[in-house]
Amino acid sequence: MDPKLVEVTQLIDRFKAAFKASNFDVCSTLLSQLKVLLTKFPSLPPVFQQTPNAVEELKLAREIYEQAVILSVKMEDQDAFERDFCQLKPYYMDTCGIIPPSSEEYPIMGANLLRLLVQNRIAEFHTELELLPAKALDNAYIKHGVELEQSFMEGAYNRVLSARQTAPHETYIYFMDLLVKTVRDEIAGCSEKGYDYLSINDAKQMFKFSSDKELQQYIAEVN
Amino acid sequence: ASSPSPSKLADAPHRAQQTLAHPHIFADAAMAAVATVSSAGGILAMLHEPAEELKLHALASLNSVVHLFYPEISTSIPTIESLYEDEEFDQRQLAALVVSKVFYYLGELNDALLYALGAGPLFDVSEDSDYAHALLAKALDEYASFKTRASKATEEEENVDPRLEAIVERMLEKYDKILPFVHILLFIRWSIQLTVTLCCRCVLDGKYQQAMGMAVECRRLDKLEEAIVRCDNIHGALSYCINLSHQYVSHREYRCEVLRCLVKIYQTLPHPDFLSICQCLMFLGEPETVANILDTLISGSKDDALLAYQIAFDLVENENQAFLLNVRNRLDSQTPGQSNPDSGSALPVDQTVNAGTTSTEPAGDVQMGDDTTTANGNAHPVDPNEAAHADKLAKLKGILSGEKSIQLTLQFLYSHNRSDLLILKTIKQAVEMRNSVCHSATICSNAIMHAGTTVDTFLRENLEWLSRATNWAKFSATAGLGVIHRGHLQQGRALMAPYLPQSGAVGGGSPYSEGGALYALGLIHANHGEGIKQFLRESLRNTSAEVIQHGACLGLGLASLGTADEEVFEDIKNVLYTDSAVAGEAAGIGMGLLMVGTASEKAAEMLAYAHDTQHEKIIRGLALGIALTVYGREEEADTLIEQMTRDQDPILRYGGMYALALAYRGTANNKAIHQLLHFAVSDVSDDVRRTAVMGLGFVLYNEPEQTPRIVSLLSESYNPHVRYGAALAVGISCAGTGLSDAISLLEPLTSDVVDFVRQGALIAMAMVMIQTNESFDSRVGTFRRQLEKIILDKHEDTMSKMGAILASGILDAGGRNVTIKLLSRNKHDKLTAVIGLAVFTQFWYWYPLLYFISLAFSPTAIIGLNSNLEVPKFEFLSHAKPSLFEYPKPTTQQTTTSAVKLPTAILSTYAKAKSRAKKDAESKAANQEKTAEAESKANQEKSTAESKPSQEKSTDAESKAKTTEDASGSTSGEAAKTQEKDGDAMQVDGAAEKKAPEPEPAFQILANPARVVPAQEKFIKFIEGSRYVPVRPAPCGFILLRDTQPSEAEELVLTDAPATVATGAGNNAAAAAAGQGSAAMAVDDEPQPPQPFEYSA
Repeated sequence: MDPKLVEVTQLIDRFKAAFKASNFDVCSTLLSQLKVLLTKFPSLPPVFQQTPNAVEELKLAREIYEQAVILSVKMEDQDAFERDFCQLKPYYMDTCGIIPPSSEEYPIMGANLLRLLVQNRIAEFHTELELLPAKALDNAYIKHGVELEQSFMEGAYNRVLSARQTAPHETYIYFMDLLVKTVRDEIAGCSEKGYDYLSINDAKQMFKFSSDKELQQYIAEVN
Repeated sequence: ASSPSPSKLADAPHRAQQTLAHPHIFADAAMAAVATVSSAGGILAMLHEPAEELKLHALASLNSVVHLFYPEISTSIPTIESLYEDEEFDQRQLAALVVSKVFYYLGELNDALLYALGAGPLFDVSEDSDYAHALLAKALDEYASFKTRASKATEEEENVDPRLEAIVERMLEKYDKILPFVHILLFIRWSIQLTVTLCCRCVLDGKYQQAMGMAVECRRLDKLEEAIVRCDNIHGALSYCINLSHQYVSHREYRCEVLRCLVKIYQTLPHPDFLSICQCLMFLGEPETVANILDTLISGSKDDALLAYQIAFDLVENENQAFLLNVRNRLDSQTPGQSNPDSGSALPVDQTVNAGTTSTEPAGDVQMGDDTTTANGNAHPVDPNEAAHADKLAKLKGILSGEKSIQLTLQFLYSHNRSDLLILKTIKQAVEMRNSVCHSATICSNAIMHAGTTVDTFLRENLEWLSRATNWAKFSATAGLGVIHRGHLQQGRALMAPYLPQSGAVGGGSPYSEGGALYALGLIHANHGEGIKQFLRESLRNTSAEVIQHGACLGLGLASLGTADEEVFEDIKNVLYTDSAVAGEAAGIGMGLLMVGTASEKAAEMLAYAHDTQHEKIIRGLALGIALTVYGREEEADTLIEQMTRDQDPILRYGGMYALALAYRGTANNKAIHQLLHFAVSDVSDDVRRTAVMGLGFVLYNEPEQTPRIVSLLSESYNPHVRYGAALAVGISCAGTGLSDAISLLEPLTSDVVDFVRQGALIAMAMVMIQTNESFDSRVGTFRRQLEKIILDKHEDTMSKMGAILASGILDAGGRNVTIKLLSRNKHDKLTAVIGLAVFTQFWYWYPLLYFISLAFSPTAIIGLNSNLEVPKFEFLSHAKPSLFEYPKPTTQQTTTSAVKLPTAILSTYAKAKSRAKKDAESKAANQEKTAEAESKANQEKSTAESKPSQEKSTDAESKAKTTEDASGSTSGEAAKTQEKDGDAMQVDGAAEKKAPEPEPAFQILANPARVVPAQEKFIKFIEGSRYVPVRPAPCGFILLRDTQPSEAEELVLTDAPATVATGAGNNAAAAAAGQGSAAMAVDDEPQPPQPFEYSA
């Protein structure tokens, strides 16, 4: 086996171990080492050179980037998520026929959709959606995002807020939390225009806050 | 942040397509496992990674895919730019390269270049990609324009980006690696040159040329020098550069700089090419250096002397009279200094002798060189070396004065004259007697046909018919004699004597013929008028008749062309200030001729008078004259041109067009073309528009292929004047080329609805087709028949009839041995020829100016000369089918002769040719005699067969052979030899005629001197191992031959020509005793001057 492959495999194992131990700092240093190592693989995009180890290399690289995406969620780093996802995407889109599809593909795609929703980048959300095959829309992970977006657009914010409980993957929780914030921002924007004044109770209900204190805190944040 | 980038949207369908092939959908599809990238998003994301290595990797990846994903990358340009600007980042240059490429794909060449410069060494000049090519071209453009701007405003400091300079320098260094780029660049910059380069490449290494071209373009003379010196074929490179500087360097001063640089390189060479150096020096106007070189050469060995002669001939070809005069004077002043210790005394003696001859000798034969020689020879009769030197010097000066070449040309034209009198006869019969326009056109046509041949048979045979010319027609007819005897320097005076104003006798002849005779003298001595000037001045002063003044002004202008002689100028000016319309017009033109190309402040004086006078004729003459003064001055003339083109008076604007055309003659200068085109479509005066279009012909004559393209739209103008101008523009710039495009453009114009357009088109067509025969382009035959039809047609308009008559003259000009050439072999413009054509176009207003076209004729001959400047027997090869370049067949008397009988004639000729070919093999003089006899028999047969295609010709030849015998008289050997020569000439004819039965030979042997038409020049080869070796292997003009067997006796040819025996002493007497005297002193075969006309008026 190629020594480079061996090295990468060993590093991945160490990464996974650290990940399990929730030692994220170690994880990110290992990850950047891994990424640098990956640049030495000629079979990776955009070159796609046909080497004997191509399949192995591609699989490894994909796994590394998948882990990187998940790690970024754990570390609650949206920029890193976007960066890693973008780098991961060619492995999903362009490696047709070389390596089998990954089991993590749809969960991560779904997470990405959520991220776009959270960042209120609706156009890009739809672009991503268009790129997916029709079949994929039946997938639970994807469907989750699509439904959320529909509710969000309709203004059925209660449905959005209650969807946190039905999140199909653990990584989604993070985004759902963020989404609540996004929704509240939307509501705030609308009520600002819609009402001259609003009672504390109505507002609490509307913003789905459980306590006055939370509401006060939010108001302070917005202003 | 919510709006997606347009580039991503644009890319979406592309990615969607990729998705179709996604394994999730076609899982079972047995696809080749070839993966392609569908987006650069991943790589772009990698740019944001904190690790340097990843950024680097991303940049490298981007660099390789930028051509596919530039739309996506373009949105991330700021990121990459910030990488480039990051001082810490160690691959800034790579970032710059990527940005540069993206900008290139976005079409932002300026930004692309900026970043490419930032990329430093990473920008690979030798890369074979569109990107590299385009940016290099851009870089060169920028650099060249920087340099040009910098040179324009010298006080402005040169702030050329040093990086740009570095790139260009790297390019120049790498010229061997950038061959593909050669083509691209040339395409962009010098598209025409591409073909030239490709042609030259086999001879010379194209890559060096490339480097040189760029160096010249970028005004980097240091690099140019380097490229030339490093080139293995330095001589080739230098001559290429000279070519380059003439064709593509539009700025006159910069061109001088380039040439100076070239001369410098030339002089450092161990074996300098003096021929080229002298050409450069002539352009630079440094007679001193040329004189020095010539002097050194004639002091050297015999071969060096030959070279000196060759240089002199080449210089003469460029017709720069003032320069040649300077060189001659310098030679004079040098020689005593070298050969004579007491130079102080010798010099003035020489000069007084000279002055004495020119002023006291009324005959005025140009013998300046001889006089000086005798003076020198007398002073030192003892030293043989010195005598030899003096002899050589005399010869050299003889050449430089133009006498030798004129004399040889005259001999050639006389001996090879093939004019077809039958054509003239047909014209004469067809033209109605009372129609004076056609009548004088016929006389003019005759003059053109026999220009320089001294053959005036037609005139002598038709004296009575000729006498119908009255008034100005008589003036023209007399002037026509000057054209026929053009270059007959020695006896010109004597020939014209009967018509010249007689100082003693009162009312000798009509003022018209006297004026015409003065004009004729000018034509005879055009550009070589040292000897005749004095006489013309006296005639001008002694008369008050405006017609005579008219002739004298034109004659003086012609004789002292471009000499800027103050005294002559004053004389002509006095005539101008008499404010007589007729004389004033000629005075204006005469002043212009005198000051050609001097750009003197006299022009302002002339312009002021043009504003003062009431006479349109004078204004017109002055306008043309002013235009002539700025001849060839390019940018220098801009102020004057501006002044004239903005004038209220259309006649002065008309002159402005001429000024523009002549100042930028043969430069193909874009600015000038632009301006002319502007006037051609916007001026309110038809005259100005016509002239503007015509001017295009002058500006473009160095690139004749361009003209038909540029004027093609104008030739379809609704305005007949513009159409006329377009026709003449093509005629002028494509003269003598037989260019197919030009003929195609002119063809429809020859049947235009407006008569004068037809006239112009016919004349232009003749100019284009001159010396082209039917087998070269079949349309020549059609055109000849068309001319005949127009002339014979009773209902044709006078204007077009006149055009047709003139066209037949031009088509067969100079006994079919001359062409119209505006560029000399060395790509210098031929001043006389250009001026001649410019004044010729003025015939629109004044028919006598038609005769100026004779100045544009140059003989198409190869004349080989030995060290004594005699014409030895010498042969060379023309590697082409003889029929392509032969003389057109003489016309037959009865055009109705049935075509059926023609084959028999051909067969008989064929048989004859075959039998002669057999006999030729034996090559005995006796046999030649027999052949000639057999030929005459064959000819008789032919004439009985009523088809006389070659009868005229062969009888001509026969008679010529006879006269030859008479002339060379006693020496039978010589007679036999000339016989042989004629035999050869006939052989050529025979060979050409036998095309039907046998494939004609692929080559022919030509004997010195030979007619070689311009198109034929590339087929000329000198036979290896023959006795004479040419000093310069160029196949045209005068060629000095080195004798490899000097001990053997030389056989000479061309002794059968007129006027070789010009005896200076006898001349004086001859001049005094008018007509008879001159006839008596001429050699037997010398054509007699026509008897004085019986004037009926």
